[in-house]
Amino acid sequence: MDQLLSSLPAIIVVLLLVGVLAYGGIRVGPRFLIRRLAGLIFVLFGVTFITFILGYLSPGTPVQLLCQPKCTAAGIAQLNHLYHLDLPWYQQYGNFLNNLLHFDLGLSFTQRGRKVLDILGGGVPISAQLGLTSLFFQVLIGVPVGIIAAVRAGTKLDTASMTTALALFAIPTFISIPIFQLLMVYLSLHNLPFLPVSGWNGLFDIHAVGPILLLTLLGLGFYARLTRTTMLEVLGQDYVRTARAKGVRERVVVVRHAFRNALVPLVTALGPAVAFVVGGAFFTETLFQIPGIGFLAVASISNKDMPTVQGTVMIVAIAVAFMNLVVDLIYGILDPRIKVS
Amino acid sequence: MDTIDTPQGTGNIDEEPIVGTANYTQLEMAEIAESRSISPLRAAARRFARDKRAVFCLAIVLIIVVGSFVFPPIYRHIGPTVVGGITGTQHVGPNDYHDPLNVDLSSSDTSGTLFPLGPNSMVHPLGTDTIGRDIFARLLGGVNISIELALMVEFFDIGLGVLLGTLAGWFGGGLGLVLDRFTDIVFAFPGLLLILLMGASLGPLFDNWFHNNAVFGRMLLLTLAIGLLSWPLMMRYVRGQTLELKERQFVEAAHTVGTSTFNILRRHIVPNVLPIVIVASTLNILATIVGEAGISLLGAGLQPPATSLGLMISDAQSKIYSPTAWTEELWPCLVLIIIVIAFSFMGDGVSDAFNPRMKD
Repeated sequence: MDQLLSSLPAIIVVLLLVGVLAYGGIRVGPRFLIRRLAGLIFVLFGVTFITFILGYLSPGTPVQLLCQPKCTAAGIAQLNHLYHLDLPWYQQYGNFLNNLLHFDLGLSFTQRGRKVLDILGGGVPISAQLGLTSLFFQVLIGVPVGIIAAVRAGTKLDTASMTTALALFAIPTFISIPIFQLLMVYLSLHNLPFLPVSGWNGLFDIHAVGPILLLTLLGLGFYARLTRTTMLEVLGQDYVRTARAKGVRERVVVVRHAFRNALVPLVTALGPAVAFVVGGAFFTETLFQIPGIGFLAVASISNKDMPTVQGTVMIVAIAVAFMNLVVDLIYGILDPRIKVS
Repeated sequence: MDTIDTPQGTGNIDEEPIVGTANYTQLEMAEIAESRSISPLRAAARRFARDKRAVFCLAIVLIIVVGSFVFPPIYRHIGPTVVGGITGTQHVGPNDYHDPLNVDLSSSDTSGTLFPLGPNSMVHPLGTDTIGRDIFARLLGGVNISIELALMVEFFDIGLGVLLGTLAGWFGGGLGLVLDRFTDIVFAFPGLLLILLMGASLGPLFDNWFHNNAVFGRMLLLTLAIGLLSWPLMMRYVRGQTLELKERQFVEAAHTVGTSTFNILRRHIVPNVLPIVIVASTLNILATIVGEAGISLLGAGLQPPATSLGLMISDAQSKIYSPTAWTEELWPCLVLIIIVIAFSFMGDGVSDAFNPRMKD
């Protein structure tokens, strides 16, 4: 009974997965689904294996730390047996996978006795808030800018907005954030309104404005350019020309005919973007001191806390792989030609 | 590579590519027809030279790259002898105080001595950091290490990518499938995460192996990690290009004459794959430089006492509120911005040179 209860989370998730895949599978056909699923499983094995091997090869083990202050040979042997570190690597890998299915990511090395899942669990909501809000604004602002730029292609507005978008997008985040912070410090020293540069007090607090504003500005360039490119492609198509010839109003042409078809690549790009939200924006969280999942991963690197680092990598990689599958399914639903290829 | 044939071309007839001869413009085709043949590489070089912005950025890049190798020894001879040092009374020359590894706590967090201009303005032109190292020297050192790392990664990347790409493209089948699956896994991992993981787990291992030269150990680790993530993309590009080239007539002709497969690959395929390799490498070098700075910022890349632009930024994080030391964080950011912009425009120029596209 206990076994069943402890596996309950895994069972629920598996049922959810099966549900999503069943719906998608019915829409896109079994062969497409099986191929994608096989690909996903392969990728998951690869990801877990690489993560496991890198942890296995890492020279630090908890045993040296835990047996302090008196390390006897017998004590070390006992601890090795307790942590199953004396098993051959393939058995350790098996245990690793088994634990994964029970959502057990192991115990932290440096925070004695705390489960990795608990440590990361605190960070996930914060990263999700930060990431999803930024993503929302990036799309909200970026897509209309892209549409307008496409409709007015070749004008000064188009070149100006695209150049700005590219400039903001090309500069890496970990450079823009210090510049922003220096700017805020300058403003604060000259008694001008400024935003706080570190800390996190929840989503609806002044501390959240800086990071979200910055992430939005830096990221919307991607969506603006993507939307513009696909809209330009679509606007050159014959059916758009037909609609115009029929006398349909320009705005209806743009929104109902053109934009709908430009939606597909946009959705494709959004899938991995959502998955990366789970990973947490490392640089933003580290430089703004936001205790999200990225910040925890980086802190555990400095602390040489391998299980936490492994746990973060696993979560993100699995989320990305799964989102890719979902995006493939959506793509297959939206564009039936994909299934045949 | 997208070549969208829309009815709207540019106005410039010279710039429009002819279908099937994407590497030559009409002007060049005309020149070739007059029996003055230009190789695609030379045609691309000419096109690159016509792009003023790209040439300007290439000049900046060259100044930065060559400067980072050539200037540090010169810099260690520029400057007056000052009285200072650990005891406060030693005579310290530029050979010491312009050394990026010279720790001198007596002059920590000083601001730049460049202005006002005077006899002492070259002592620490941009100031010193928390433990007294000259910032300009560290900037030079950081750029130097980034370039070295980028070159090492490119060597790995191009070597492996071209080798496996041509083989996979030419022979196809099993090798292609295996590499596809492998690249799927690599792409599934967010790149930064994998490098972080490798840096964290294998870092101490490499530090131990190279205990006499820890900086080199870490650089080797970073080369492997970043190279591992870059070569699948290069391999895909090369494989695509090989598949395209395989169908060309000159390859068929070589085959008919009896050229061995190895020689076909060596003399026909590989030289024609160079354009896309050059374009991809330019962008990849930029990605490596930025990636290394980012990783070092997070603490999983190069470790002190190595100089890295990322390390400079993270060291200076605590100093942004100080009225004298706030520039410590500004300089590495500015240098990185210049590098990013210069490489981006240069990369655009290179890519346009090889694929004259319609300005859209």
